[in-house]
Amino acid sequence: MCGIAGILSPMLPAESRHEAVRRMVTRQRHRGPDDEGFFENGPVTLGMCRLAIFDPAHGHQPMVSPDGRFSLVFNGAIYNHRELRGDFEERGWKFQTHCDTEVLLAAYALEGARCLSLLRGMFAFAVWDRNEQVLFAARDALGIKPLYYARLPEGGLAFASELNALLASGRIAREIDPASAGEFLAWFSVPAPRTIYRGVSNLPPGHSLTVDALGCVRTGPWWHFPAPQADGRIAANYHEFVHGLRDQLDDTVRAHRLADVPVGAFLSGGMDSTAIVGLMTRAGATRLKTFSLIFGESGYSEQSSARLAAQTFGTEHHEEVLTGARVAADLPRILAGFDRPTGDGINTYYVSQLAKQGGVTVALSGLGGDELFGGYPSFRDLPRLDRLLPVWRRVPAKLRTAVVARLRATASVRARKLADFLAHARDLHELASLQRRVLPEAQRLALLAPEARAQAERLGPNHPLLEDYAFELLGADPFQVISAWELRTYMADVLLRDSDAFSMVHSLELRVPFVDRVLLEWLWPQRSWFKYDPAHPKRALADATADLVPAAIRHRPKQGFVLPFARWMRAELKPFLDQTFSPASLAACPWLDATEAIRLWQDYATQRDSRHWSRVWTLAVLVAFANRPSPA
Amino acid sequence: MNYLLTSPELFLHEGGIARIMRLYLRALGENAGPGGRVDSVVLNDRPGSEPRLARYANERLGEHVACGGSKPQFIRAALRLARRADCLVCAHLHQLVIAWLARGLNRRLRYCLVAHGIEVWRPYSLLERRALRGADRILCVSEFTRHQLLRFCPGLAPERLVVVPNTFDPHFAPELNNQVSQAPFALPRILSVGRLSSADTYKGYDTLVEAMPLVRKVYPTARLRLVGKGDDLPRLTALADRLGVAGSVDFLGPLSDEALRAEYAVCDLFALPSRKEGFGLVYLEAMTYGKPCIGARAGGVPEVLDDAVGRLVEYGNIADLADAICELVRHPRNSGVVREHAAKFAFPVFQRRLAAALA
Repeated sequence: MCGIAGILSPMLPAESRHEAVRRMVTRQRHRGPDDEGFFENGPVTLGMCRLAIFDPAHGHQPMVSPDGRFSLVFNGAIYNHRELRGDFEERGWKFQTHCDTEVLLAAYALEGARCLSLLRGMFAFAVWDRNEQVLFAARDALGIKPLYYARLPEGGLAFASELNALLASGRIAREIDPASAGEFLAWFSVPAPRTIYRGVSNLPPGHSLTVDALGCVRTGPWWHFPAPQADGRIAANYHEFVHGLRDQLDDTVRAHRLADVPVGAFLSGGMDSTAIVGLMTRAGATRLKTFSLIFGESGYSEQSSARLAAQTFGTEHHEEVLTGARVAADLPRILAGFDRPTGDGINTYYVSQLAKQGGVTVALSGLGGDELFGGYPSFRDLPRLDRLLPVWRRVPAKLRTAVVARLRATASVRARKLADFLAHARDLHELASLQRRVLPEAQRLALLAPEARAQAERLGPNHPLLEDYAFELLGADPFQVISAWELRTYMADVLLRDSDAFSMVHSLELRVPFVDRVLLEWLWPQRSWFKYDPAHPKRALADATADLVPAAIRHRPKQGFVLPFARWMRAELKPFLDQTFSPASLAACPWLDATEAIRLWQDYATQRDSRHWSRVWTLAVLVAFANRPSPA
Repeated sequence: MNYLLTSPELFLHEGGIARIMRLYLRALGENAGPGGRVDSVVLNDRPGSEPRLARYANERLGEHVACGGSKPQFIRAALRLARRADCLVCAHLHQLVIAWLARGLNRRLRYCLVAHGIEVWRPYSLLERRALRGADRILCVSEFTRHQLLRFCPGLAPERLVVVPNTFDPHFAPELNNQVSQAPFALPRILSVGRLSSADTYKGYDTLVEAMPLVRKVYPTARLRLVGKGDDLPRLTALADRLGVAGSVDFLGPLSDEALRAEYAVCDLFALPSRKEGFGLVYLEAMTYGKPCIGARAGGVPEVLDDAVGRLVEYGNIADLADAICELVRHPRNSGVVREHAAKFAFPVFQRRLAAALA
């Protein structure tokens, strides 16, 4: 786990490049406090800071191939590096370290871009090919590790693991893009390839990027979801499926436990994290350290479930009480850790801090279980709505318009969301795309100033990568479509980004065994009714881990890892919100309609409006982000 | 082989579908072979002689019926001529139901649809689905359009959907002695061509105007040249005024072929950052003049453009667009490479692809 950065620009003098890359590396030093290194060749400067996980004594980066042709900076972990190592040794590669970085270097040197499909793990890396004068960069299939880049005004390109680092280069303007602000209000985060800043891009998950010596940049996908059906790999019956799934779960957890430093786990007490901890102990983890947050407020904490799971597996369990007062006190520091606004992630910040203080460098999380095994209500609701769409289209247009207008005029958030579905969705992909939106479209547009509103209207309500994802899923069944959309949108753009940023801020490597390409590729073509039962969400995961997960947890309804924000926002966090929604603070957001923003907050604060807290919080975070001092 | 081509229009307006269907008429005539014939029925063209027809038809043209907008006449003519055809090529989804009906009258008739762009990127009615499933081939202008058809009509057999990329009109290509297309002025000229319609705001002309303040910071004398007319013109003019770039944006209105050729010849780059192009014929036209192109990374455009011949930008991202314009002015693409790229879509290539698809 590391932070990487680099610049390819024939126009910039080497000293300027080096200075800019050094600033970028320094800005993201929390991602890798153990080592740092730089590399120069021709028009390229690479830099990195390292959090040593495998072979801590070796593995200095940038790592250069023995012939000097390839130079690599790498952020992430390759879990199958030991298996690959044997193959490459047979092909004549002489390894100098036991580090996954060197295996990746060998893989690229021997296979080129084809090596990506050999890798099991999370990664974002860049390789400079001295002979071809080409820079190649790639992100893992599902987007666990980030890579941001920007074209430079002088020509060429800069990249880094964090947006703050890119800005610290001093080569890129820190200007919030009004269109991105509009996208943020729609999605809880700014979906790739856009970022909150003008002219800065987020390489989408499963994509690679090449830049040649002329500065031509090409991006494209290297990974797609597997074919919806695959003969010969499908379990014949549910019993066989559950056994196969258990083998796959054992395998992914075994792979994700690999490290030469202490490994722990987040344990919320929900089905997913309990299953992960159970599988870890079954795989041989002794005196495993587990971590969870608890809350003073009743109704939010999963404390009893987490303790039950910890007792069952005999873990060394660490708990921490989180209060609104503490969050309020820490907010400036948390906001400083943001490299992009996010409406989520505070929980990850604190539980990562707890894990790091508890003595682990790597922690496993149950993130991804809901997406793979149908844990969200969308898996049940959207197919029903999809069946109604053809009927709805046969209703006369005027009547449809009147119904949508009527629904939009109600106070009910559900009714307004339904209005968006009916007004904009034409098929299941568009329903799945729209269902993750935070603010109803009419309300989002009202919150934007005229110029930003015009841009938002131009971009439309659907996800920016709607067509790409829809095409990728041709022939997929409804469960696969919704699962893919959850994986590609909320998980990739919000959950994984928050997990990376808020774990790395504490120099903790967070691993997500459910978000595993090998597991997903096995699971994908299996019959959907094996994976999902509307009457018993996540039945497959529960059955596959029935010998591990206590029955009380398996049979408990989904609770989610939710902070008591709704209460805190009217109490401890109110001063922060009052200040954030003040005219002086809103002046830093010319792309917002200040009057509407203040009204949204006041309606919430005075409880005249029953809207969900997350809408107000999302807006507050955006305003606070725009007001924070320069991260450089 | 006897072909029947049904089209909404060929010569009435200079729309993209009309221009490509003229080339279908020409290619079908070439491909019909000895003893073969091509009949043509056009819904909206005015009856009477059309001097430009000779450019696109050869001696195998049988009847050419222009219906002046009369749907009953169009249906009667299409059904009548379909009785003697082996293959009906339908230029628009709206007319496909007639092709489906025609097969009821002539069981040996095969019918095909040319699928262009947004007209097929939507859910279909029951009747349309039935007609689509009966088509022998669906000739898609891009892989993107092919995917859209499969998305909205899942019952279609994928092997019947064949990609036949559009081509450019050999008549429109630059004269050989006019191939050196040096801009005579020291200011970067950005050219865009199309219908300035309020129904087609997705074309992104407004984003080009919005990018001009940023472009002018780098190139103060830059000019945006917009060719075309439409009811969106007042909005675009007002936008240019509001942004203070009215003096840098030339609204040229519709131009004759000759004047348009001159614009292509002297521009520095062509830009149409549209969100919904099935293919984007105008990029090809610009590339025949060796001009680098900017398009949005959307629709079928990435199948026509790449970094070697221009830049793809994110639709609606003004900074990205301005940056791409400045980069192409600063680092123009090799015009020989751009022309070679366009040559991959030349008419003989198209004619061969079409023959293979209809075989």
